[in-house]
Amino acid sequence: MLEELLARWITHQRWFAGKGRPLDALAIESDVVLVAGEPGLRHLILSIRQNHSVDRYQLLLGMREELPDRLKHAMIGTCGPYGFENGPHHHEWYVYDAAHDPSLTGHLLEDTDHGPIRFRRIPGVTIDTSLRSLVLGAEQSNTSLVYGDAYICKLFRRLIPGVNPELEIVTALAARDAKHIAQPYGWIETDLDGTVTTLAITQEFLSNANDGWDLALASVRDLYGTPAEAGNLTAADAGGDFAAEAHRLGTATAQIHRELAEAFPTGVVERPEVKRMVEDFRRRLGRAIAEVPELAEHREAIETVYHQVERLPGEVRVQRVHGDYHLGQVMRTPVDWIVLDFEGEPGQPLPERRAQSSPLKDVAGMLRSFDYAARHLLADNPDAESLEARSHDWAARNRKSFLTGYAEAGGHISGADAALLKALEYSKAVYEVVYEARNRPTWVSIPLAAFR
Amino acid sequence: MSSTPIPNTFDDEQRRDPQWYKRAVFYEVLIRGFADSNGDGTGDIKGLISRLDYLQWLGVDCLWLLPLYESPLRDGGYDIADFMKILPEFGDLGDFVKLVDEAHKRGMRVVADLVMNHTSDAHPWFQASRHDPEGPFGDFYVWSDSDQRYKDARIIFIDTESSNWTYDPVRGQYYWHRFFHHQPDLNYENPDVQDAMLEVLRFWLDLGIDGFRMDAIPYLFEEDGTNCENLPKTHEYLKRVRAEVDRLYPDRVLLAEANQWPSDVVEYFGDPVGGGDECHMAFHFPLMPRIFMAVRRESRYPISEIMAQTPKIPENCQWGIFLRNHDELTLEMVTDEERDYMYSEYAKDPRMRANVGIRRRLAPLLENDRNQIELFTALLLSLPGSPVLYYGDEIGMGDNIWLGDRDGVRTPMQWTPDRNAGFSECDPGRLYLPTIMDPIYGYQAINVEAQQKNGGSLLHWTKRMIEIRKRHPVFGLGEFIELNSSNPSVLAFVRELGDDRMLCVNNLSRFPQPVELDLRRFVGVSPVETMGGVPFPPIGELPYLLTLPGHGFYWFTLPPATRPDVQEE
Repeated sequence: MLEELLARWITHQRWFAGKGRPLDALAIESDVVLVAGEPGLRHLILSIRQNHSVDRYQLLLGMREELPDRLKHAMIGTCGPYGFENGPHHHEWYVYDAAHDPSLTGHLLEDTDHGPIRFRRIPGVTIDTSLRSLVLGAEQSNTSLVYGDAYICKLFRRLIPGVNPELEIVTALAARDAKHIAQPYGWIETDLDGTVTTLAITQEFLSNANDGWDLALASVRDLYGTPAEAGNLTAADAGGDFAAEAHRLGTATAQIHRELAEAFPTGVVERPEVKRMVEDFRRRLGRAIAEVPELAEHREAIETVYHQVERLPGEVRVQRVHGDYHLGQVMRTPVDWIVLDFEGEPGQPLPERRAQSSPLKDVAGMLRSFDYAARHLLADNPDAESLEARSHDWAARNRKSFLTGYAEAGGHISGADAALLKALEYSKAVYEVVYEARNRPTWVSIPLAAFR
Repeated sequence: MSSTPIPNTFDDEQRRDPQWYKRAVFYEVLIRGFADSNGDGTGDIKGLISRLDYLQWLGVDCLWLLPLYESPLRDGGYDIADFMKILPEFGDLGDFVKLVDEAHKRGMRVVADLVMNHTSDAHPWFQASRHDPEGPFGDFYVWSDSDQRYKDARIIFIDTESSNWTYDPVRGQYYWHRFFHHQPDLNYENPDVQDAMLEVLRFWLDLGIDGFRMDAIPYLFEEDGTNCENLPKTHEYLKRVRAEVDRLYPDRVLLAEANQWPSDVVEYFGDPVGGGDECHMAFHFPLMPRIFMAVRRESRYPISEIMAQTPKIPENCQWGIFLRNHDELTLEMVTDEERDYMYSEYAKDPRMRANVGIRRRLAPLLENDRNQIELFTALLLSLPGSPVLYYGDEIGMGDNIWLGDRDGVRTPMQWTPDRNAGFSECDPGRLYLPTIMDPIYGYQAINVEAQQKNGGSLLHWTKRMIEIRKRHPVFGLGEFIELNSSNPSVLAFVRELGDDRMLCVNNLSRFPQPVELDLRRFVGVSPVETMGGVPFPPIGELPYLLTLPGHGFYWFTLPPATRPDVQEE
């Protein structure tokens, strides 16, 4: 009966990955009582079969005899008779998504195990479990709870067996006193298919910070908004100049890369493997041109860059990297830049998200992001043509500042690195062209400008 | 601590507020430039007395006077030739006593600049010292046979001075000076100098003055192997000065002018145990250029950063904050990168620069943009500290960059559209400096009389803001807590003192902006906008959404929650 309620409810949740396909079966794979009381709290792991694939989701199930108005939006339904051993037993219970119930979510910060669900804390950390939580809006695949202005707990919804890369990286970097990360405080884990699997991570909440994308756009907007009478306005003259921030961000990035290289194994990729990577780039280029014909005119320029990488004499150094690095992943606090979400490339299987790669992949990602910031406001803009020069100038100035900061802090981008960086950037832009053509056709000009 | 304003009073029978300076609105006035009573072209103390009603009307709590002592005026009076005489063109000691009395009658106080570090070379002490090395004043200054001592001390006026030592042919020795060569430094190692300066302080306090802004205090002592700034002996002497003031003259204030980083300036408040035992107040220098930078960059970070770097100050102490003053916009306290930026943004003509700063008034710095002037003033009146207004900025006066040194921002106050801006009845040619006459900022366009008649003027707006500030002592006394703002162009903070809570939201961008604020601490509260008293929707658990026009700002009071807090059943 609870299963039926859940099956009806879960398909409407933002984080449910199987939307649009019929749900063949839902089973409660694990049911652990965290609080036997009124309200009560259970931890559920659901297994959901659609066609032939099975996905697992976790759910914090709240139970109350009466549901106050403020929790109505989280209601799943009513069921019963039902109850707890050594606890209340009611004829009918309201069941609801307890992530929205601040009177229960404090239990996620505890450090006592409940059967197979293990609550872990970073040694030496003390946590105030009395803070009230609030669910952050607008998240696709997880649910994040902010406690007061102190902690953020990221609750993974779809469960993939294994240790989450974010947890793996931030705990390793925190142990080295890294300053450009949000400090980890604890996590929740269980065993899934015999593998230790991360269920949630609790970290320092950056209570006074904005992401780099918002900051960059404020700068671009200022540049675009300055009247043309002001003469040949360059990004350097504009009031909202971002170059100093880009420089600091480059420095922070180099430091993160160095710390990742120290904390995790590194390796080298030999020439045949580089060749295979370039062949893969080429294949993707071919597919992209088939889908977006405008890309064809840039084929030669792109091929030339790929070819240069193929002919590089040496091998390529690889290490753990961020994997999905862009301005939206970095936060500016009043003191410095903080890098978030070391989850690797989204949508990829876990081994690929944890795979070693050239740190230049992150650098390329950020360079592309500067381009996006500069051009994003041009899409659908009637003045786009006259602003073209300014957008080019803004991107060039901030890309350069970022690279200078990166190099000054010990990041490698000389000689052979430059060709690889360019190829990585182009390959990313090719991916973006396809993505935009499918999802936001008016934006396709943004990545296309990368090849000019 | 009470959150009800305590009226200023000088009646011993009534309850007085020993921390009046933490709530006060200061107004920096140039006697020379404010009002001329005798038609000689130079402002004077009697002229200032005749304008006290205006200052009371505006809401000023305390006047800050620039040096008014006998002086050859080679450095705007900061070169004092006699500590116990008034500069004759300003009046005499009788005028000064009347000024203090009249100000007190109106609930206003008077503090004056006092230069502790040095005198003019025309001071009798220096003349005696150079002529009679063995006499009673022989050791009053820092003399040396060599100009090689104290090499690590920087030269402050790099535009005009090449060394901190100057050779005196009369005495045949070098004398030490941290500022101009005609301003020899007093030798504080000499106990007689220490006593003589205490006597100067007592002299003015006995006349009724409410305190001093102590000029250039980091430099009192020198020591080889140091940069000769902020030395422990300097602090020891300041503690002695404070003890003397507290013993004989409670209710008076010492304001430090130490152009240093906040973390160094806090030293001048003294020992936090007991609430501070050196200066009551100190200027917060780096905040001002950061405000300019933040608005120009449309980013709150320049301000957020400096606020995060500002240490807590002792219980009985207060910052003095300002947007502009009689000096240049000081850029010593910003990094080189920031300085280049400020130069290129705010001083497009090299004439606008002086030493390491920019010499402009507020209105021309902001291209006479009323919205920006209002935003800057709102920040001045709401950030932690006691605000110091600069005469004329309340009407948006302009400057004259073609005048020498820092005179461009010291032109006559513009009272009326009549001859000499109503400042003086003399022939225009006799004025100490010409009035501003350009079409935008000239006295025919910008003057007190016209703005007093016009309810929508900057003057009336400023008066209203000062009123609101004074109604809420939290602005002077409360904690400052920056709020997480979802928008990097919006600076939001709460000032808090018991049940007096003020929410300030500032849009640093010229474009309209939305912002979502996490106000869960105040669930159930309906913010009330202070200008119009309009209640806004109650705060809930979800982020609180506000929209602001370009360069717009809001001040909300946060009254107690109207419905019971929805904590838990």
